[in-house]
Amino acid sequence: MLELFQGPLFISILAAMVRIATPLLFSAMGELVTQRSGIWNISVEGTMLLGAVVAYVIASTTGSPWLALLVAVLACAALSLILSFVTIVLKSEQFIAGLALNLVASGLTLFWFQTYIIGRDPPKFAGFEAVEIPYLSDIPILGTVLFSQRLLTYVSFLLPIAVWFFLYRTRYGLEIRCVGENPKALDVKGLNVGRRQCLAIMFGSLMSGFGGAFLMLGYSDRFVPDLIAGRGWLVVVAIIAGNWMPFRVVAAIFIFALLEAIGIHAQVVGVSIPHHVFLVLPYVASLVLLAGLRSRTHQPVALGIPYRRE
Amino acid sequence: MGWNVACYSAAMLCALFSTAALLHLSGGDVAKAFSSLVIGAFGSQKALLGSLAKATPLLLVGLGTVIAFRAKIWNIGQEGQVLAGAMCAYWASLWIGPLPYWMAFAVLVLAGLAGGGALGLLAGILKTRFGTSEIISTVMLNYIVIFLLAYLLDGGPWMESGVTVAYHQSPPVNTMLEWPTLFGQGSAKLHVGFLLALGATALSAVLLERTPLGYEIRAFGSNPTALRFRGTDISRLLLVVMLVSGALAGLAGAGELFGTSHRLRAETLLGIGSSGIVVAMVGGLRPSGAMLAALFFGALKSGAIYMRLQSGTPAGLVSAMEGLVLLFFLCAAVATRIQVTVRSEVHA
Repeated sequence: MLELFQGPLFISILAAMVRIATPLLFSAMGELVTQRSGIWNISVEGTMLLGAVVAYVIASTTGSPWLALLVAVLACAALSLILSFVTIVLKSEQFIAGLALNLVASGLTLFWFQTYIIGRDPPKFAGFEAVEIPYLSDIPILGTVLFSQRLLTYVSFLLPIAVWFFLYRTRYGLEIRCVGENPKALDVKGLNVGRRQCLAIMFGSLMSGFGGAFLMLGYSDRFVPDLIAGRGWLVVVAIIAGNWMPFRVVAAIFIFALLEAIGIHAQVVGVSIPHHVFLVLPYVASLVLLAGLRSRTHQPVALGIPYRRE
Repeated sequence: MGWNVACYSAAMLCALFSTAALLHLSGGDVAKAFSSLVIGAFGSQKALLGSLAKATPLLLVGLGTVIAFRAKIWNIGQEGQVLAGAMCAYWASLWIGPLPYWMAFAVLVLAGLAGGGALGLLAGILKTRFGTSEIISTVMLNYIVIFLLAYLLDGGPWMESGVTVAYHQSPPVNTMLEWPTLFGQGSAKLHVGFLLALGATALSAVLLERTPLGYEIRAFGSNPTALRFRGTDISRLLLVVMLVSGALAGLAGAGELFGTSHRLRAETLLGIGSSGIVVAMVGGLRPSGAMLAALFFGALKSGAIYMRLQSGTPAGLVSAMEGLVLLFFLCAAVATRIQVTVRSEVHA
């Protein structure tokens, strides 16, 4: 067990942590904005999957990962209109709408996969390659862990700062947070609650799709229907574990990623503990964390409650 | 009433139409796929039995979901609860001594109920003691149970030993413990779990509509504050609902294991939980509605196998259809409420 924390293996674990965490960061930052606007969107899993599928299809037909990323993000933004319609216009139960979207996404993916991929030679695709930052990538340990990653990895490091700035230092960010806390106040001022929630949902879906596409194009060598494998749910948990605050959410994501990274390496090294233990740890840890986190002061007050004008 | 029927029929038509469009766009033969789907579901006595067998676990999970959702307690841990029920019953079957058959059967049923119920209760305790949202905790528990089963069947003590290829499944259960078959044989048979599911439907309907507990469940769903002022023990209510809801899902898992698959295997059980939620929602959160919905989706799942053989349409189509039906029914449910508000304004 201890050999996991020494020398090159430890560096490899840290590098794996960054690799696992960064696609999730995109999804989490998007979902954070959605939830701060009071929308309980649990369709992250399905949206990430859709992003990954679209990215795979476009990347394998056009050969351009950047175009693939763009189309995937646009597709997920379009998908978000369904969620907006059901939750904001129809004011239906938000998490059931999310559940339905997850089902549609996984069902469509399975259908598409069984129709076009299974039993054939899966189409090849060009993904994102690692970009080594000059000089910085030569730093021992840190260079390998942080500065020899994909270009988008560096973007993901900056993203939480941007989202924090948006939420806490801009007028529109304040309004989004206000929609999550007290939509009536905003409505009374003559500002459109539905439009802000709709945009927040769209941003969330778009970033979730971004995360899924990045996972596909940056870190996978082939598509499998189970590509997302619960990561979308982990994002939702990270937001709660991070108490709806951007940097704590980031911390939660990195902790979950570290646990998974240790699990993968323990399996390779042949540690006597079954590798399932490490795989299940993020879920157990989040449950314990959630139970311990009784004073959830930053949960948006109006989270999950459809806004109705009286 | 007429308006309701119109709304839901429209939703079903929309779902069918989008499925057909999907199939057409992917180059499939829509007419052939749909007709083989119907023949595969209802075309013969064998097909009919297959549909009822597929409907059995969906109905049980759906009923558990109805009870929880009516109280607006959002238990979405059905997937894990089904697995837990099957695992608990399997575990019991390993320990069961030479008992008379009916006693052994009762032990397995109780073990299934207990396994799913315990998992539901755990999420309930997390909610009442620590205020953890049941939506999140039940999803977390799903994954925890899935990984536990993966461990047990992949190198763990329940893995089938002595076979050259590892299938990640348990050895077959003791044939003496298989649940009795009502009709049919071979691949198309209906086990006694179907009767249990029918019984559970009647009991759930009575529970919700005719008992004090059912009143509290409905009241908690529509006005929890009023119920609290009435002096009802909310924590107790929450725990009971989660226990019952989980137990029904657990029974579905045990029934699948001892009635149909006879081997513990994740693939045969995963998906029942989410389909059960769809069944409950599409059934309008009523036991009778859930029964109709379960028969419909059971027929779809059963017919999908024949459809794949006959027309080459992937069975994944049925999964996509499930999500689409749910989405359109959500919209239809809102449409039915519009009618109610219009009417009440007219009367006022």
